[in-house]
Amino acid sequence: MELEEIQYTWGQMSLELEKQKRLSKKIILEMMHQKYKNKFSRLLKFELMGALICFVFSGLILYNFSRLDTWYLWVCGIFTLLILLVMPIITLMAIQQIKSLDILNISNKDALIKYTKTKSYLLAIQQFGAYASFPVFLTSMPVMSKILKNKDFFSVSKDIWFYVMIVLFGVGLYFFIKWGIGCYKRITNSAEEILKELDEY
Amino acid sequence: MDKENHFVKIIQENQGLIFKISSIYTQCKSDQEDLYQDIVYQLWKSFGTFRKESKLSTWMYRVALNTALTKEKRRKRSGLKIPIEKVILKQSEAYNTEFEERLKILYHHIHHLNSLDKGLILLLLEGNKYDEIAEISGLTPSNVGTRISRIKNKLKSNISK
Repeated sequence: MELEEIQYTWGQMSLELEKQKRLSKKIILEMMHQKYKNKFSRLLKFELMGALICFVFSGLILYNFSRLDTWYLWVCGIFTLLILLVMPIITLMAIQQIKSLDILNISNKDALIKYTKTKSYLLAIQQFGAYASFPVFLTSMPVMSKILKNKDFFSVSKDIWFYVMIVLFGVGLYFFIKWGIGCYKRITNSAEEILKELDEY
Repeated sequence: MDKENHFVKIIQENQGLIFKISSIYTQCKSDQEDLYQDIVYQLWKSFGTFRKESKLSTWMYRVALNTALTKEKRRKRSGLKIPIEKVILKQSEAYNTEFEERLKILYHHIHHLNSLDKGLILLLLEGNKYDEIAEISGLTPSNVGTRISRIKNKLKSNISK
């Protein structure tokens, strides 16, 4: 292909495009709608991966639950299971709810009000999940110690490095959670911006 | 005409331009649709601040090319590379396989250029003069001239390979 031919083909393509059906107002609005949805699709993908990990751990605990042979291991096991099973489901449902807001068929003011409510709910769940991850971290240690090594975590002697590791892990967890909540806030705020811009439409 | 209808009319009249920019900066249909949406969205966002000091086409090219370049940078950082699936023109009466083949070759050559060169060759192919290209790209007209002659040489050597 020569340069002139490139120019000719480009011109021909431009003519073809001119002839094609024009975008309707509805399609242009739908593009904005899709953009809103895409914001949450990414969030949903990461939450689905997180939920899968939680469910694998829950399955492991449930399968070995009979090995938890003291009342305190039972308490730890049930608490860990509850958080690992319930939190991902509530979070996924909240994201699905916010993602499926029909912003095209209700007036944008209504969409914005509904969105603000759902966003507050989603962020509250996230914050609860963040706080819950610290006790889950602590309760999962005795459960995993019993399931994986058949040792009673509370009766085994621990050296200073054990506590250092726990503190370090806790600090790491704190920063990870802070980052995660920051991401949530960024995504929900930018989706809110889209709704506000649609409202101006 | 209100702001909304005015914007829709502009998009309708210039959808070919958005299509061409979105197709030279992407390599698969889903990325192209995504970029198309993004360009329309960014145009709407900046529509309120468009003061008619520059030509409408200059404003559109600037916003659309900036959106495409930003997105391409992000895609490169994420390391995603998807092969060309097909040339994304809807079929019409005049459409034929030979034309499709020529378009494939054209896209193949343009996709090999770097981000800035893609934008410059697009503006040239769209029939813009060097000073118009300079106004849109922010380069000086002489710089545009030098770069375009380099792009032409690059394309020539790629074509002859």
